[in-house]
Amino acid sequence: MAHLHRIVHGVSRVGAIVGGAMLMLAAIVICVDVTMRYAFARTLGGADELSGYALAIASAWGFSSALLSRSHIRIDTVYVRVGSRARATLDLLSLACFVLFIALVAWHGWGVLQQSWVSGSRSMNELETPLVIPQALWVAGLVFFVAVALLLLVRALPLYLAGDLRRLFDLIGSKSAVAEAEEEIRAIEHAIEGERKP
Amino acid sequence: MTVAVSLIVLLAVLGSSIAVAAGMGITGLILNQLYSPLPLTRVMGELAWATTNNFILTAIPFYIMFGEILLRSGIAERMYSALIQWLSWLPGGLMHSNIGACALFGSVSGSSVATAATIGVVAMGEIDKHKYNERLFLGTLAAGGTLGILIPPSINMIIYGVMTDTSVPKLYLAGFIPGLILTVLFSLTVLIACLWRPHWGGQKVPTNWEARIRLLPDLLPPLVLLMVVVGAIFFGIATATESAAVGIVGALAITAWRRRLTLAMLIEVCEATVRTTAMVVAILVGAFFLNIVIQTIGLTQQLSRLITAYQLTPVQVLTAVIVLYLVLGTFMEELSMMISTIPITTPLILQAGYDPVWYGILIVLLIQTAMVTPPFGINLFVIQGIRGRGRLSDVEWGAAPFVIALLLMIGLICVFPEIAMWLPRLVG
Repeated sequence: MAHLHRIVHGVSRVGAIVGGAMLMLAAIVICVDVTMRYAFARTLGGADELSGYALAIASAWGFSSALLSRSHIRIDTVYVRVGSRARATLDLLSLACFVLFIALVAWHGWGVLQQSWVSGSRSMNELETPLVIPQALWVAGLVFFVAVALLLLVRALPLYLAGDLRRLFDLIGSKSAVAEAEEEIRAIEHAIEGERKP
Repeated sequence: MTVAVSLIVLLAVLGSSIAVAAGMGITGLILNQLYSPLPLTRVMGELAWATTNNFILTAIPFYIMFGEILLRSGIAERMYSALIQWLSWLPGGLMHSNIGACALFGSVSGSSVATAATIGVVAMGEIDKHKYNERLFLGTLAAGGTLGILIPPSINMIIYGVMTDTSVPKLYLAGFIPGLILTVLFSLTVLIACLWRPHWGGQKVPTNWEARIRLLPDLLPPLVLLMVVVGAIFFGIATATESAAVGIVGALAITAWRRRLTLAMLIEVCEATVRTTAMVVAILVGAFFLNIVIQTIGLTQQLSRLITAYQLTPVQVLTAVIVLYLVLGTFMEELSMMISTIPITTPLILQAGYDPVWYGILIVLLIQTAMVTPPFGINLFVIQGIRGRGRLSDVEWGAAPFVIALLLMIGLICVFPEIAMWLPRLVG
């Protein structure tokens, strides 16, 4: 189980990095496009369309990365004021709701994909991209999220029953805003450290 | 009746700490079950695809990525040292440099947390070195950081623009002058405090014209990026998304010039960008679904009927909305507060006859206020986290005078809407 968890972590990390690289690439293409339009009154065409796909795919694959790093925002006004057993219950409830919601989106997303496949839909821009390609990658990201969230549920439930709440919080607990802020700061300090060294 | 039930369901779901994205989706599902004649879940797929594959929204990951690169480009520290020379002669010394650096960094960054954290890390060491009043110094950082979302670019304005169908370039233009005025108001706050209690202002830092001129090039990278990113939008050369893309390439170029462009750095940037983007997009998908349910079951019409029934004047509606945000802002996380309330408050405000661009700026100011008001103010946590000593209440007290400045600014744009609207009208 822990082994599976590591694999999932790795896949989700790669998904996020590839998604980010797609976005960066899209930004570079758009930049070239804008420069050409401004300087030579010509465009490559399709840069905006591609960046839209990049956003859809990157965010679908990023959902799981954000889940694993517990970055999805939760309002913890009540959460921090109840006992640890109740907190663990809320954590499970939150995760279950997330699974339900994204599973529904993925299910209907699958419908959208099927529709595009059957009718052979293409985008209405100059690229005429067959929509099944970006949509398949997008749905795959959503399905992966559901799998990751289910895995987390399966791992957290025994911890809950055994009363091992500390490990449960590590896995699916709500990160406090203070902890969130501290992570942000560490990243920045790390970035600025680099500047001071040379 | 529907209004009351809807609000109770939303509050109960979000209050029980269900992730905001899922919470809004689940609230949509419940309201759909209770009131809608049609099963709206069927539109979910189409809606989620259309939402996430939206060119205007691409601006969000682009600005996040832009910020992540700038953070690692090493411009913040040099910029701060240069601003010390230029601004610290004022009573209050480095505290003006803090505000100036926040405004300048905010003008290239679209996030308040990133602005406060970056300038905070750079400036924190100066409190002891020059014997400043710690509270006020911390306050300048927490409050100055909020300028990140008012001075364009602004991730919050993009979200507002997309959710309410308002032009993002117009919102940027509208944020510019209020951003400048608020920067001056923050500086005036420091000035007044230090004229009243001179020892708060710390020891003077030696400055001279020679150093000012010598350090000027360190101010150039952010200024050039600002001109490119914001200028391109102002002069209609590029859309908000395109200018963000140009900004990314510019920031990459600066990083390469500073010899800090490495594969490890790029991987960090990509991962951090996607994580934050996914978090925001998840909330937007939930919010868009909830929005459709709300419209279908006629919730907004019911709310407006209520307002007509009680014969509320536009000013009363506006006051109620401002008070609502000030109250919610004390305990709710700012991004989720904004996204979950916009679909409800915007139609009311527009019906009362206010301009959507102007309202966008007002919302941003209210969110800024929320970021520095306890018990939940994200910028307070950020600054306290960097400080790493003492109590959070020091930062809260230090930020208090700037909350007054923010409230003053809110009052100003309510009484003189032209402050926000003059520039967008001028450009067309």
